[in-house]
Amino acid sequence: MNTNSNVYTIIYSTILVVVVAAVLAFAASALKPMQDENIKKETITQVLSAAAQADESVTISEDVVAMYAEMAVDAFYVDGNGVIGEHMNIGKENKADIKVESTSYLKAQNDIIKKIEAGQTELLSTLALPVYVIKVNSLTVNVIPCYGAGLWGPIWGYIAVAEDGRTLDGAIFDHKSETPGLGAKIAEKPFYSQFQGKKFGEGEKIFDVVKGGANGAENGVDAISGATITSQSLGKTINTWAKYYQPYLNSLAAQTDTETEESAETEENAEVEDATVTEEE
Amino acid sequence: MADYISLFVKSIFVDNMIFAYFLGMCSYLAVSKNVKTANGLGVAVIFVLLVTLPINYLLNQYILRPGALAWLDEKYASVDLSFLSFIIFIAVIAAIVQIVEMVVEKFAPALYSQLGIFLPLIAVNCAILGGSLFMQERDFVNVGEAATYALGSGIGWWLAIVALAAIREKLSYSHVPAPLKGLGITFITVGLMGIAFMTFMGIQL
Amino acid sequence: MKDFNLKETLLNPIFKGNPISVLVLGICSSLAVTVQLKGACVMALSVTIVTALSSLVVSLLRNTIPNRIRIIVQLVVVALMVILVDQVLKAFAYPVSKTLSVYIGLIITNCIVMGRIEAFALGNKPIPSFLDGLGNGLGYGLILIVVAFFRELLGSGTLFGFRIIPESFYDLGYMNNGLMILPPMALILLGCIIWIQRAIQKDLQEK
Repeated sequence: MNTNSNVYTIIYSTILVVVVAAVLAFAASALKPMQDENIKKETITQVLSAAAQADESVTISEDVVAMYAEMAVDAFYVDGNGVIGEHMNIGKENKADIKVESTSYLKAQNDIIKKIEAGQTELLSTLALPVYVIKVNSLTVNVIPCYGAGLWGPIWGYIAVAEDGRTLDGAIFDHKSETPGLGAKIAEKPFYSQFQGKKFGEGEKIFDVVKGGANGAENGVDAISGATITSQSLGKTINTWAKYYQPYLNSLAAQTDTETEESAETEENAEVEDATVTEEE
Repeated sequence: MADYISLFVKSIFVDNMIFAYFLGMCSYLAVSKNVKTANGLGVAVIFVLLVTLPINYLLNQYILRPGALAWLDEKYASVDLSFLSFIIFIAVIAAIVQIVEMVVEKFAPALYSQLGIFLPLIAVNCAILGGSLFMQERDFVNVGEAATYALGSGIGWWLAIVALAAIREKLSYSHVPAPLKGLGITFITVGLMGIAFMTFMGIQL
Repeated sequence: MKDFNLKETLLNPIFKGNPISVLVLGICSSLAVTVQLKGACVMALSVTIVTALSSLVVSLLRNTIPNRIRIIVQLVVVALMVILVDQVLKAFAYPVSKTLSVYIGLIITNCIVMGRIEAFALGNKPIPSFLDGLGNGLGYGLILIVVAFFRELLGSGTLFGFRIIPESFYDLGYMNNGLMILPPMALILLGCIIWIQRAIQKDLQEK
């Protein structure tokens, strides 16, 4: 047979393409459920790890899905005006139904945020930013994600905010391709454990990651030395996303304030109120 | 505009294909023995990158990425063809390279005979596919950004290969320990050049 | 058809004809994953599987491939294998596949895969081709692992993520060599490996 004729070449390539496409489509669809499961588990692990930092006695178990189903109180979307939208399934009836939003969703939201930053403020109400409300023993925390560009690729993270909408109970970060040993340290404990006990600020500088930033400032942590750009980008990412969660977080703060006022009799609560007042000044 | 300039400069110096990602090392080491051929290959890489990256960007944007088919019809919005991206990217690159090869053979036979077997190997040059894969990972906003990135990283690659070729030309007159001759010293040279390029790491425009 | 010593076909590329240090093939992207030993091991394994299987497939098809579209057919076969490996990693070893990111895709353009197909698989029977691919993949992996070993040990003081250099050393003033984790050090280490290899095997030295 003449393997160099045009007809043969065309038939050969057609068959090759069909066979390869069939194999790939089969493999991709067969493995898809497992891949999605992995991504879901990863997101759940990160949400839980951020939340669990609120209480040292809590450790993340092997079966994160079951743990999430047990600890999650609620999960929903908020828009840029703080209006709560649709609720996500938190798997109270069936663990397999749990819905969390992966990084590709965060990326899409980040694109909308970028447009709003560029001046298209009418898009504020189309935002649907996920909030996961997790109960860690006696505490309830709101886990909010953030997503942005690092030095080489995307960076993202989850921050656990206490019921007052201000205090941070924990945080965890991840990245796609930051330099190992430098920028990649944002995913390591010495860095993210700094966030515990910090507070979101008001106005333009909600949060910051700067060199020497831990100098007593409540809304800043210390940057990673040698990874200036990654640190700065992370600071900017947190700041930007926190800005769009601000309306929702403010409504939480307002709630806590009224509650505190109502039960201001006990000394302990009075102290809390004092603290809030000083902070607002 | 400032974004484009920043991206351009960053892709030449900071995200240099060779020094930061080791992309296209095979042909980089093999064709860097003298400046003239190195220049030829460098220009070919710039050209192929500049053509393939925007095409792959459009393919990725309108066919491959999850939900990309939504422009056809709403019911295709859930289709995710990203598993096909490797094969589509490489097919586009191979086709373009074939065309470039024919054009060079017709119009610049001298260059063609010098580049020899390396022109078809541009198809398997990691720098070209790497460019497309990084483009996919970084999700640029529009074709303009993708093209800027292509031009910048192409020039970065060209700069690296011409610089190395010049050093190697000089190096052939120096006394290198016998086991290090050729390949060994070249690797070390590239490493040192890479360290020199790291000085650009902090720049921001 | 020549007869091959199968054992020789498998073992030769691991040491004497090592694809990286002797033939200068396939250094490309993969050195970037040598910061950590774990990533390097998975990368080594993936490259070995891809090289062996695509050599096997191309060798089976070798008499039917039209010469004009030879390169594209080879690329398609290699890309197929790489996508399969990528999909399997994403399904079963998600954390590792995340750290390797685009570098798995870049196996397609790894010169070692195409190089072995062109130089060996196109002209030889399936079994020797498979072994040749396997041997080259392993030889390649060996270098990756050696480079990763030194980079992780000296750069982060760990191996496979476990701390090897005890804390007391750090208290005495020992510091991780930050330079090791930066990309250029991979090349310099590789230069040193070649130096050692060629000092031992004098016949490899270049004039």
